[in-house]
Amino acid sequence: MLRVSLRNVLANKLRLFLTVAAVTVGVAFVSGTFVLSDTMSRAFDQLFTGLTSGTDVVVRGQSAYTTGAATQAQPRPLDQALVADVEQVPGVAAAEGGVTGFALILDRDGLPIQPGGAPTLGASVGGDEQLAGAVGFREGRAPGGPDEVAIDAGSAEKAGYQVGDSVDIVFQDGRDTFTVVGIVGFGTTDSLAGATLAGFDLPIAQQLLGKVGVVDEIDVRADDGVTAGQLRADIAAVLPEDAEALTGLQVADEGSAAVRDGMAVFSRVLLIFAAVSVLVGSFVIWNTFSVLVAQRRREVALLRAVGASRRQVLTGIMVEAGLIGLVSAGVGLLAGVGLAVGIRSLLKLIGIEVPTTSAAIEPRTIVAALLVGVVVTMVAAFVPAWTASRLAPIEALHDAAPTAAGIGARRRIAGWLMLAAGVAGLAACATVGNEPALTGLATLTAFAGLVTAGPSLAQGMARLADHGRRGGGWRMAARNIARAPRRAAATALALTIGLTVVCAVAVTASSLKASVADSVTGGNRSDFALQPAGAGLGVSPAAADLVRGLDGVDTVEELRYTSALVQGGSRTVVGVDPAGLDQVVDLGLQDGALAAFTPGTMLLRAKAAEALGVTAGDPVTITFPETGERTVTLAGTFSQDTLLESDYLIPLADFEENVTSRLDGSVLVTIRDGASPAAVERTLTQALAEYPNVTISDPAQLTADAQASVDQMLGLITALLLLAVVVAVLGIVNTLVLSVVERTRELGLLRAVGATRSQIRTLVRRESVLMSLLGAVTGIALGTVSGIALSRALLDQGVTRLAVPTVTLTVYLVIAALVGVLAAIGPARRASRVDILRAVTTE
Amino acid sequence: MPPQRIDNPPVADLDEPPERSGIGTLPRAAPPVSGSSRPAGGLAARVQCARRTYGTGAASVVALADVTVGFPAGEFTAIMGPSGSGKSTLMHCMAGLDTLTSGQAFIRDTDLASLTDRELTVLRRDRLGFVFQAFNLLPTLTAEENITLPADLAGRSVDRAWFDTVVSTLGLQERLTHRPAQLSGGQQQRTAVARALVSRPEVVFADEPTGALDSKASAELLRFLRSVVDDLGQTVVMVTHDPVAAAYADRVVFLVDGSVVEELAHPTRDSVLETMKRLGG
Repeated sequence: MLRVSLRNVLANKLRLFLTVAAVTVGVAFVSGTFVLSDTMSRAFDQLFTGLTSGTDVVVRGQSAYTTGAATQAQPRPLDQALVADVEQVPGVAAAEGGVTGFALILDRDGLPIQPGGAPTLGASVGGDEQLAGAVGFREGRAPGGPDEVAIDAGSAEKAGYQVGDSVDIVFQDGRDTFTVVGIVGFGTTDSLAGATLAGFDLPIAQQLLGKVGVVDEIDVRADDGVTAGQLRADIAAVLPEDAEALTGLQVADEGSAAVRDGMAVFSRVLLIFAAVSVLVGSFVIWNTFSVLVAQRRREVALLRAVGASRRQVLTGIMVEAGLIGLVSAGVGLLAGVGLAVGIRSLLKLIGIEVPTTSAAIEPRTIVAALLVGVVVTMVAAFVPAWTASRLAPIEALHDAAPTAAGIGARRRIAGWLMLAAGVAGLAACATVGNEPALTGLATLTAFAGLVTAGPSLAQGMARLADHGRRGGGWRMAARNIARAPRRAAATALALTIGLTVVCAVAVTASSLKASVADSVTGGNRSDFALQPAGAGLGVSPAAADLVRGLDGVDTVEELRYTSALVQGGSRTVVGVDPAGLDQVVDLGLQDGALAAFTPGTMLLRAKAAEALGVTAGDPVTITFPETGERTVTLAGTFSQDTLLESDYLIPLADFEENVTSRLDGSVLVTIRDGASPAAVERTLTQALAEYPNVTISDPAQLTADAQASVDQMLGLITALLLLAVVVAVLGIVNTLVLSVVERTRELGLLRAVGATRSQIRTLVRRESVLMSLLGAVTGIALGTVSGIALSRALLDQGVTRLAVPTVTLTVYLVIAALVGVLAAIGPARRASRVDILRAVTTE
Repeated sequence: MPPQRIDNPPVADLDEPPERSGIGTLPRAAPPVSGSSRPAGGLAARVQCARRTYGTGAASVVALADVTVGFPAGEFTAIMGPSGSGKSTLMHCMAGLDTLTSGQAFIRDTDLASLTDRELTVLRRDRLGFVFQAFNLLPTLTAEENITLPADLAGRSVDRAWFDTVVSTLGLQERLTHRPAQLSGGQQQRTAVARALVSRPEVVFADEPTGALDSKASAELLRFLRSVVDDLGQTVVMVTHDPVAAAYADRVVFLVDGSVVEELAHPTRDSVLETMKRLGG
């Protein structure tokens, strides 16, 4: 039986290729995701280990809680006097204080070198070479004087800076010019995951970064013969309560873990796309095997007649599926490694440099690829194989062409019921709102209904198309669809899955876009917003100071953000100056009074207050990462969703007390009555020339920017999902080729009695278009409905509007029809070239 | 008077409204009726020095060796010969289903070699009718749709009166809405004959039309073919290996090894058998 299976697999190369391709895309996604995240994790492990290799113990401020990688919150700085205390501890060979902060290096044109999202770091550069670990000077020397700086090799290369060049750097307190005296590398890597680094002598760094008299951490090297663990304990004993000591290894692990956390989110997103591809692929496989089994009906029955048992028939087909799965898994694994390399190049292109190391192919990746490839193929092939094994030997004697039956009434009713229940569920979710889990469940139910009732849907569509002209392409195509409704449905459903997800995403994104405008302009009273350019970290408060007092400028309101625990839940808290708040934004106060918003109080959005179960006058506990628990009084609640982008407001004075960083997230500006906005904008632009990292936007631009970023995200997601759609198209090609092969005699007869080649091509093309449209219409309909429900489910996440992008959806429908035409090109040509004589002669 | 016709009518696009040949303006093929107005003789189909070889070099097989033969209009001709004698090849080449290696094949005055694939297709659709041994019908179409298929492909409507005549003569009235799978073998073949006749072709080519039928169904079918020739002046060319079937014809052409070796007019079962014996078939 194995030989039979093997020969069957190799018998039709095109079919093999199409089938393998369907599985390969999914496997490639899975393995590519794993390879990428493993490679990056390994690289970062190496990097962090290298960076801390010379450091035995690190002393730093104690965080109130673990913030995780995403928030980037620094622990509270330590008093510099502590460095001397640590140095006194027996076993310490050297102890060095260090600071880090915001420093944006500008290129020769005065523009930020790093426009992307990676950090722009300023740091002190120590004198102890061993403590520096893998950080070393590629060129030049360590900075010493007040106007000397060392920059990372990545930035130096990007801007073309060399030792001796002068460079401008923007800090939170202003801008200054320095001379490059050294170029720093990190082992073999030029930069820390794309971050830029400007290094200064410690006292200079403290001054520039706003940390005079304090250090962020103390790096300690142990005497020979003293273990890091022992020294850590000894040092910990002399530390004040708000400081902690960790070994270098612990810090490296922390860094790696943080990267792994970040990668995990990224991987999960990629794996979702992988799952969609795999699901689509499994439909294609199911379909292919259904057709194969139908074609080999007589062969199978003959095998049964000559004594093959049911089990042998089943095993034979499953072995065939397994072989195809194995080939697909192998090809997919290779493609996955390629994909990983490709994504890495893509990341580099957008400015995220990933430390290089050889591609990490862990055993887990191989196992996952094989499992996905083989298991998915075999599961998808099982039902057709089982059906084949049920064939009675007598079937071998029947001559009738295999015509797949429709479905029984019970299945049809069950399918329609599920579909109705799913759609009703989606409608309910859309009405109630904020039910993401139920929305997902309802979508799945509706989809399961489609799968179950699919063949009767295909028949229904065929009946619609059957009203065409006699002998016309539509009518005959419809008949052919109706003849094998299960196959048509399975082919179309592969497309349905892809389009459902694509359309749900499209509807949600367009709703988000519409909502963004609301939240950006909602309650806004400001005329301009100063924001960090690109995905920069923040605006220097010095820039806000500069704007204050400019001609025509009235209120300048700085907004600073930090993550903190509010009643135990991690939230983004914004610090605002109560004095100017009412001038820049109309909060829509519901409860309490703005006058009561003084230090020691906070404002909450009504929804958040409701969720926390507090009302005006109640105490609220906020835990800051640096300073720990603070209890404040709720001064009032507001209703407006504003461009403050946070539901948790505290006075700026309180914020400064608990957060060291003084970078502004954005600065809102109003103009004096009667001042011309255009004139003020010119003034602002001129005044802020020194700060190229600050953009000046009016509310309309803010809306446009926010919408553009939604579009960008939508584009990225759609591009990834399109791979799944491509798999579905391969499925259509596969089905068409198989059905053309199956109908060689019919097509030959048609040609004999007078169908021209182009009429045959038209016939096949229309079958293809009908199947594509079936998939497209169901997919777009289900996707739109679930997209609407999903938008409603994200009501509390800020999706307040509902917008159905009819144009986009129509375009998808048209594209689906075109895809049908394209998918039919090969099969149609093949059909038009059938040998007439073979069809009409009886051998 | 030979019937007027358009030699190469445009092939209708599948969705174009049917091109109606208005009655009286373009009578495509006047109903052949018996008597004086019957097409006045001539050859409906003929081949000249027809040669057909398959394969090349040493492996090449000569299926037709320079055959010259004609099939008079309004006659029922049977082509006989042992297996491999080239009788089917001859028919396929005359019907534009296969092409000659050398020589010429004509339907009336149309040289098939001068036609493109598309023109050949249109010729088959509009001027010829076919009945094959098996698999004559499209399983997705009803009997009626199968009968009107060539006209539907051309985007023309059929002459309903003629359609009814053919269908009732063949006894298919009750079967029109059935799919082929619901028809008996005899009914399927009669449906195929109806399809071949309904467009009033110049020649009906039948390739072993009774090969898969029992003797009763065979006799019915052959009687019908005989009557369309006698009553309607239809030209029929039939390939068969059955002496009983051949006896229904006006004339039998015998092929051996790709050559015409004998012609027999007014055959009977016995004369055919005797000729076959003599030819060593």
